[in-house]
Amino acid sequence: MPASPPGQVLDRRGFLQTSLLAAAAAPLAAQADDAAAPKSSEAQLPGLIDTNVHLFDWPFRELKYHTTPALMEKLKRHRVSEAWAGSFQAVLHKNLDGVNRRLTEECRTLPRFLRPVGSVCPAWPGWEEDLRRCHEVYGMHAVRLYPAYHQYRFDLPELGALLEDAARRHLIVQISLDLEDPRVHHPALNLAPIDITPLAGVLRRVPTARVQLLNGQTALQQGGTRELLADTQVRFDIANLEGTGAVGRLIDGRHWSIKAQVPLVRLLFGSHAPYFPFEAALLRLFESPLTRDQMLALMSGNATTWQEQRGS
Amino acid sequence: MTDWREFVLNPADYGLPSRDELVALRIWDLHYHGFLASDPLTQHAETMPYVDRMGIERVFSLEIGGSLDRPFAVTGIETQQLEILQRDGDRIAGLTCVDPGEPEQSVEKMVKWIRNGPCVGIKYAGHGRHDIRASHPKNDAIIRLAAELQSIIYVHTWLKAGGDPRRPGGGNLSGEATPMDLVTLARRFPDVPFICGHSGGDWELGIRAIRDQPNVYLEFAGSDPHSGAVELAVRELGVDRIVWGGHIPSRSYATELAKVLDADLTRAQRMQILGGNLRKIAGPIFRAKGYKI
Repeated sequence: MPASPPGQVLDRRGFLQTSLLAAAAAPLAAQADDAAAPKSSEAQLPGLIDTNVHLFDWPFRELKYHTTPALMEKLKRHRVSEAWAGSFQAVLHKNLDGVNRRLTEECRTLPRFLRPVGSVCPAWPGWEEDLRRCHEVYGMHAVRLYPAYHQYRFDLPELGALLEDAARRHLIVQISLDLEDPRVHHPALNLAPIDITPLAGVLRRVPTARVQLLNGQTALQQGGTRELLADTQVRFDIANLEGTGAVGRLIDGRHWSIKAQVPLVRLLFGSHAPYFPFEAALLRLFESPLTRDQMLALMSGNATTWQEQRGS
Repeated sequence: MTDWREFVLNPADYGLPSRDELVALRIWDLHYHGFLASDPLTQHAETMPYVDRMGIERVFSLEIGGSLDRPFAVTGIETQQLEILQRDGDRIAGLTCVDPGEPEQSVEKMVKWIRNGPCVGIKYAGHGRHDIRASHPKNDAIIRLAAELQSIIYVHTWLKAGGDPRRPGGGNLSGEATPMDLVTLARRFPDVPFICGHSGGDWELGIRAIRDQPNVYLEFAGSDPHSGAVELAVRELGVDRIVWGGHIPSRSYATELAKVLDADLTRAQRMQILGGNLRKIAGPIFRAKGYKI
């Protein structure tokens, strides 16, 4: 079967042939006894850019794919071609530069596949230097914020300053709104819920900032979402986007519990692996009856285009 | 017109089962919330195409006759629900909600909807109406009748972090059972199978809570997907004690199937979790009512 280069549209007959051959060749893909690789002779099927991955140990449990080689094997098995990787060490460590340095070294083992995403906390002293090093020393394309775990709100003045500095440096800023359902937090954690409302005002003042909200289901269900969507160019990932057929219904403005309609271009693929099973985000793409163009945009096209905008 | 069975890319090319492979797993979804909405009939009609798309063989609705919040209230859709269960009986089965604080009304409801009606089980919801949980002895009449009818007994359980001092379960609603509450109940009826809903809410603790009570099954549904959860349950409880649900439409088949697909299991084990074990629990009442297994 000839390969279909990325971006090339298969006609229906070609697609059916591909599907039937793959299906005939492939017993249940997710079985442990035969789950080593995608079941297709197609080497050039569209890949995925996963914008929401973490490396290293989750502080509260040993995750199944907590080692980088195991996680990489898992992601590649599902045709991920690029992963934007933060560090779970950022959740509870205060020396974020140490976190970012170790992350950079780890990502150098797979430089074209793993793209390190440094962590910065605008509520702590020295964040400007952390941001500078992420950009100038570690060569990162993005940084990640954890307002819930680092305990600050979106009306923190330094957040606006960080967004301005990041925009000047053409850095993407990912804001991780949730990492874990607060109902199952370790009792030692007592995190204040994130109020999304002030964020639209902050972003209006920094229109060149490129911001993505990770694990944004709860935020999307909050009141200020319409303003955020109308007045800013904020992006979301789909890792914790719940509801059957959620992706398609969100794009169509018919989500079960999210009132806002979210344009396709605002959604990027993200899995929250290895905390979530990678299959959850991947299956979200297939649970909705999306068009091929929509699938390709979500899998990698939107992320690629957004990266190339560089603060335009 | 949407072709719900068409996929523009083949899931098998991405390390996922194809729809045909999902169908072959013969999946039974114990946790269907299609009628949980202000317009329940419309929501049900919009939800079922996803059931078909994802190759699910059968769903169990948890809101037949009454609602979770008001289990004895007239909803106005009882007649339509009866028609749906009759017309689509090979695809949809029904559980009806009871209240441990109202055992007499609950028993009357079970007689109407299970003994004399189409339903096959009961659900205990998580509620804050009062502080009588499923473990309360007042509630034993419900279980005695459920055992006589060989009904499925589903108990919503959670362990929400909260309270002062802060602890797992300290944030539960007053009438919301913990897995420990369910074990207290199950000890009084050691020959009756119980289903511990939502894997106890906090699966790491829920699994430990029910481990030594062999007539309690663990259900994976209605919580975030956590890599490794199903494997721990299999290791601690055995694959025979795990059942599965989709919790749609508020959750998704993506979330719930991922829990099982991520786990290192054989195909036979996957089939047990995704429907085989539930068929064993439901078998007696299904056979009594002449339903397809």
